[in-house]
Amino acid sequence: MSDDFLFNARLEAVRNITRRHFFTQCKTGLGAIALGSMAGSCDFFSSQNPALGLLREPLAPRSPHFPGKAKSVIYLHMAGSPSQLELFDYKPELAKLHNQDCPPSLLEGKQFAFIRGVPKMLGPQAIFKQHGESRAWISDNLPHFTTIADDVSFLKAVSTDQFNHAPAQLFMHTGAPRLGRPSMGAWVTYGLGSENSNLPGFVVLTSGGKTPDAGKSVWGSGFLPSVYQGVQCRSEGDPVLYITDPDGISRELKKKTIEAINEVNRRHYEEFSDPETLTRINQYELAYRMQIAVPEVMNISNEPDYIHQLYGTNPGKTSFANNCLLARKLIEKGVRFVQLYDWGWDSHGTDESTALDLGFRNKCRGIDRSMTALILDMKQRGLLDQTLVVWGGEFGRTPMQENRDNKKMPFFGRDHHVEAFTMWMAGGGIKGGRSWGETDEIGYAAVKGKTSVHDVQATILHQLGFDHEKLTYHFQGRPFRLTDVSGKVIEEITT
Amino acid sequence: MGRISTFSGLVLVIGTIGCQKAPQRIDFNTQVKPIINKNCITCHGGVRRNANFSLLFQKDALDTAESGKPAIIPGDPDHSELLRRLTLTDPEEKMPFKKAPLSKVEVDQLRQWIKEGAEWGNHWAYVPPKPVAVPKPRPWLPAIFSDSWTKNDIDYFIAEKLKEQGLEHSKEAIRATLLRRVALDLVGLPPATEKVNQLLRADGDESYEKFVDELFASPQFGEKWASWWLDMARYSDTRGYEKDASRNIWQYRDWVIKAFNKDKPFDQFTIEQLAGDLLPNPTDDQMIATAFHRNTMNNDEGGTVDEEYRVAAVIDRVNTTYAVWQSTTMGCVQCHSHPYDPFRHEEYYKSMAFFNNTRDEDTQGEHPNLRTYRESDQKKIEDVKAWVRKYASPQKEIDVTRYLRTLEPKIHAHSCDQFVNGALVDTKYLGIRHGGSVRLKNVNLEGKTNLVIHYWMSTPGGSIEIRRDRLDGDRVARVALDTTGKHERSLAIPLVETSGKHDLFFVFTNPRIKPDEAVCGVEWLSLLEDLPGSTHKDFGRIQEKFYQLVNAATDNVPVMVESDGDLYRETNLFERGNWMVKGKAMAPDVPKSLNAFGKDLPRNRLGFAKWLLNDDNPLTGRTVVNQVWEQLFGNGLVETMEDFGTQGALPSHPELLDWLAIRFTRDHHWSIKKLIKDMVMSAAYRQDSKVTQDLLEKDPSNRWLSRGPRIRLSSEQVRDQALAVSGLLSKKMFGRPVMPFQPEGVWQVVYSNERWETSKGEDQYRRGIYTFQKRTSPYPSMLTFDGSSREVCTIRRIRTNTPLQALVTLNDPVFMDAARALAAKMVESGKTTEDGIRMGYSAVVFHPISKKKLESLRSLYLMAYAEYSKNRQASLQLLKEEKFQPELAAMTIVANAILNLDEVLTKE
Repeated sequence: MSDDFLFNARLEAVRNITRRHFFTQCKTGLGAIALGSMAGSCDFFSSQNPALGLLREPLAPRSPHFPGKAKSVIYLHMAGSPSQLELFDYKPELAKLHNQDCPPSLLEGKQFAFIRGVPKMLGPQAIFKQHGESRAWISDNLPHFTTIADDVSFLKAVSTDQFNHAPAQLFMHTGAPRLGRPSMGAWVTYGLGSENSNLPGFVVLTSGGKTPDAGKSVWGSGFLPSVYQGVQCRSEGDPVLYITDPDGISRELKKKTIEAINEVNRRHYEEFSDPETLTRINQYELAYRMQIAVPEVMNISNEPDYIHQLYGTNPGKTSFANNCLLARKLIEKGVRFVQLYDWGWDSHGTDESTALDLGFRNKCRGIDRSMTALILDMKQRGLLDQTLVVWGGEFGRTPMQENRDNKKMPFFGRDHHVEAFTMWMAGGGIKGGRSWGETDEIGYAAVKGKTSVHDVQATILHQLGFDHEKLTYHFQGRPFRLTDVSGKVIEEITT
Repeated sequence: MGRISTFSGLVLVIGTIGCQKAPQRIDFNTQVKPIINKNCITCHGGVRRNANFSLLFQKDALDTAESGKPAIIPGDPDHSELLRRLTLTDPEEKMPFKKAPLSKVEVDQLRQWIKEGAEWGNHWAYVPPKPVAVPKPRPWLPAIFSDSWTKNDIDYFIAEKLKEQGLEHSKEAIRATLLRRVALDLVGLPPATEKVNQLLRADGDESYEKFVDELFASPQFGEKWASWWLDMARYSDTRGYEKDASRNIWQYRDWVIKAFNKDKPFDQFTIEQLAGDLLPNPTDDQMIATAFHRNTMNNDEGGTVDEEYRVAAVIDRVNTTYAVWQSTTMGCVQCHSHPYDPFRHEEYYKSMAFFNNTRDEDTQGEHPNLRTYRESDQKKIEDVKAWVRKYASPQKEIDVTRYLRTLEPKIHAHSCDQFVNGALVDTKYLGIRHGGSVRLKNVNLEGKTNLVIHYWMSTPGGSIEIRRDRLDGDRVARVALDTTGKHERSLAIPLVETSGKHDLFFVFTNPRIKPDEAVCGVEWLSLLEDLPGSTHKDFGRIQEKFYQLVNAATDNVPVMVESDGDLYRETNLFERGNWMVKGKAMAPDVPKSLNAFGKDLPRNRLGFAKWLLNDDNPLTGRTVVNQVWEQLFGNGLVETMEDFGTQGALPSHPELLDWLAIRFTRDHHWSIKKLIKDMVMSAAYRQDSKVTQDLLEKDPSNRWLSRGPRIRLSSEQVRDQALAVSGLLSKKMFGRPVMPFQPEGVWQVVYSNERWETSKGEDQYRRGIYTFQKRTSPYPSMLTFDGSSREVCTIRRIRTNTPLQALVTLNDPVFMDAARALAAKMVESGKTTEDGIRMGYSAVVFHPISKKKLESLRSLYLMAYAEYSKNRQASLQLLKEEKFQPELAAMTIVANAILNLDEVLTKE
């Protein structure tokens, strides 16, 4: 009996090590997460963690630098980059210039992915009206979204410096255009841990038939421990890889298996006393609970009809609508960061599917109802206040019509554009009905309130309670951070 | 043992008291540098030097600052501005600025240091290791005091530190556990059961050593140790970035495996990888070795600027080289002087100048490639070689052969400019319309009478005219192009003999094509001299053979080829690391704070490699022994393996590190196997890995080696072990990467038709090292166990312990296959269930199962049996067989549990 008592006490100690350490020893409010020679160091996020050889309980909840407005994030990324000129950035002047040669001043010294020679200007391929008390301009491509105009803040002059998909996506999500850096979700789970140990802390949901151009690196952990990488949850197949028991193994038998494994491990611990064994026992218990929790949260068929109607969901399929509903469920269960990627927004006009007046309209229809539903549903559940919702692509689209290889294109399309594009945010301490940043008459360049990718990232971290300059990790001889060496919180849109 | 420690402890105490009488000088490295790094260096270091004052180098620190006088006056603390500022209270003037003041002890230390002359100490890592005496007990001590624990010299170093720390070593691990440990460490696989049984009968050091030697001789040795090296080499079967297309570079992986198996001395190993192409008449193997630095990423996405990604690859090579061989974080110096360590901004670009001169330019074709010709083309090669030998010289034969091996130097389409009615299609190929033209600037035509053009064309009637110096200048060639079908072709265009450097203008015509259609696509150009013997009647025949070879289908591996002569690239400093903002030109050189570059060494990669291997280089030997130590003991002697700089950890056993470095480089002549053998033969390595609560408090991370290593297996080992103990593991070595089972839908790649095609037969069960490595979608179960995605150089893998790992070993079909196969062996092995469980357990950990553990697994078996005997369907599903075998099904559950035990997933 006394053996059992001691054993359980130690197991409990391993489970609570982070919190206990945080409460009793840390004045900075940032708990150390690794044992070994790390124990005793409090300022974890700016320490040099030289001994981070071994991690125990790396996902235990931790406090940020200051109390944040948001506890979690839903990030809706439209991979390929939707045209701001057909959605939010209304440019009547551009309509007047439609089909005229682009002035050389817009082309000199600029680089485009596909535009060659002198392209024609392309007027907005949508009808715009003002909506809500904020009188926000929103096009007829997003009829549902117009109803929540007063819940969101638009950033109309975001700029990036990458005009190809993969580097631009990496830049948006890891703060650097090349592979190897941790993604935003990894940084956030590293900083905050997770509220629900039965579910992954950082979940990724994809739709549109492809993963983003930069592959799984956009939710990778870079140089952070691999435990912080995003876990892809899927609507078809295993919701999380290997989460389903093999055929012929019942739940009851799996439970018994894990119990037997842990019993043997416990005997082993009595002999070897390695705390790592205790951690493993704990992780096997967690894995078992995760096997129940993940399929449960990923199953949307039990949701009431009105919810399905609200989101436009279709259980059993992979769709953006399903992913929006899943995002709400995951956030409700305490997941820290839910990243959605919807592929297919690269409207070059090379064929029908990428034409602004055809394929693009279908893509809009595919997101309009469900992203609106997500905001409304989160709001009615009181979740929106503490959840930051972010929407955007990796760059914007040109006011010129694309003329790939200096040829006239069969459909209306726009090339990649880095100088100004629109993103929006809602909830989690973001003002409703606000718009910040303006572009020139044709939507080419920012004229006011220009913001950068690093500013967006700094703002997201700020809403979660982090000073983006202090959330760092020591690697290759220096502290690294999400925002590299720049970034400024966009205070104009925060409450 | 107890007595001896007390005795020498006494000696030590007396010694210390003796020393304390003389006042101790302040030590820069351990007392001053930490204060500076913590409080001053951010504003007065390599990144910022506020008030024109920096504490990074002694010269800067003693120099006149913005105030007009130096901040530190050696010997005179009272007039040193530094000290005055540290003791002020005025917030505008006091230092550290806007931060808490230094403690009195710290200020006093700095004061004394200045008083003593403000001498700069050299950081330990930049001082070459000196021969170290093994701290053996005094030889005059009676034998009774000698310690029977030690097995070799390593142990004296360990014992000395243990004593200092008040710790004791552990006894030797039980033999079975030790044999498993050393097998996992040397070949990455558990030993064969029969082998262990045989060795257990013959106890003693000799049989252990014999076993170790057998492991060294095993071809699996290279497969294990290659995984260490391939992480650092960022080896991958794909190119990275958006397209992340496949790359044919597995020949390099095989080269590494073979090099470890042959115990290729590490100096040779280094030279061949960094500069194999620069050796005289390099062999194919030496060329393939240079693929080490062709493992950098290649961006094939349309619209990307090749030069930007070429530069990114070169920068990666500089950073990787310094990380792998020098444990130095050179990446910092790319944008500014090193914030903490003595490396100046310019020195980065001086190092880069060594690596900036290779022919690779981020092209779609990944040129340069080493071409391996088919057997059927060998005769042609011999004919051409014989011809050249006969009509010219052996040197010319070497030149011609070199061209056929790589088709270098090439001039890529992106080098052209002044496009008229045409463009660089997809930012890769020349696409010029009828009547359009393009310029190739400043090419040396001396002796070049042939221009090889690699092109494709579908509409007949195209032709090219080449004009000199101006679009309407002298015509040097004109050629009508043949259509090429689906494939590209290399065509030789004879040029009018011209001397010196000229611009060439290419005018493309084909009146038959549509106005917006390109005449043809051109990927690259190459200028060649004529083959010799042009007056001979058979010349035409041999020339035809030569160009047939140029066009032959070959197996291509990306390698290094030097960009010398006319193609030599000037290296410039990039202002603040920005490749678009070029500063002054930089000649190849090495950092001043390391050993000098030998006068006799060539200023190229070969010279650089030799510089790394010079006896005076303070870092290479230490770096390698530290990395190897970590592979075996779980932690480096310097824990921050990637950083020996002042921000890194100090070595736990500095004398041992230096002793090993010298032994490795000089006594063992860079033999990795001998180095490893020293380590695994030590008593320190052979210790039991059990720990007590008391020990856990005194030595939590086993820094002092008071016990043996206990470490979770690597991602490759977790897989390989399960396959090995179940008998499924394929022994097949080398070759193309394989695609073992991976769940549907893991690869959803954009702009690519590449698919995960599950390998057939034994290729399903190859060792992890042969699994296809895709950068943007790594093999999921490997990544879960902290395998590297190989995006960039990984010096150490951080080990995590997560529930997702449990899901892999519990549910991944590969592990279920292993459980079924192991269960079949268990059922066959004995009469009773208990026998079967006993067998299964010791098949993995090699010692008998304890009674209590057996009880747990037996009760699992009984429960599973009860279920499967009642549920035929479940049993058939589990076993994937038609035959109803509830015993086997139940045993499969037990085998699955065994493969999930902590002691099985861990090297103990």
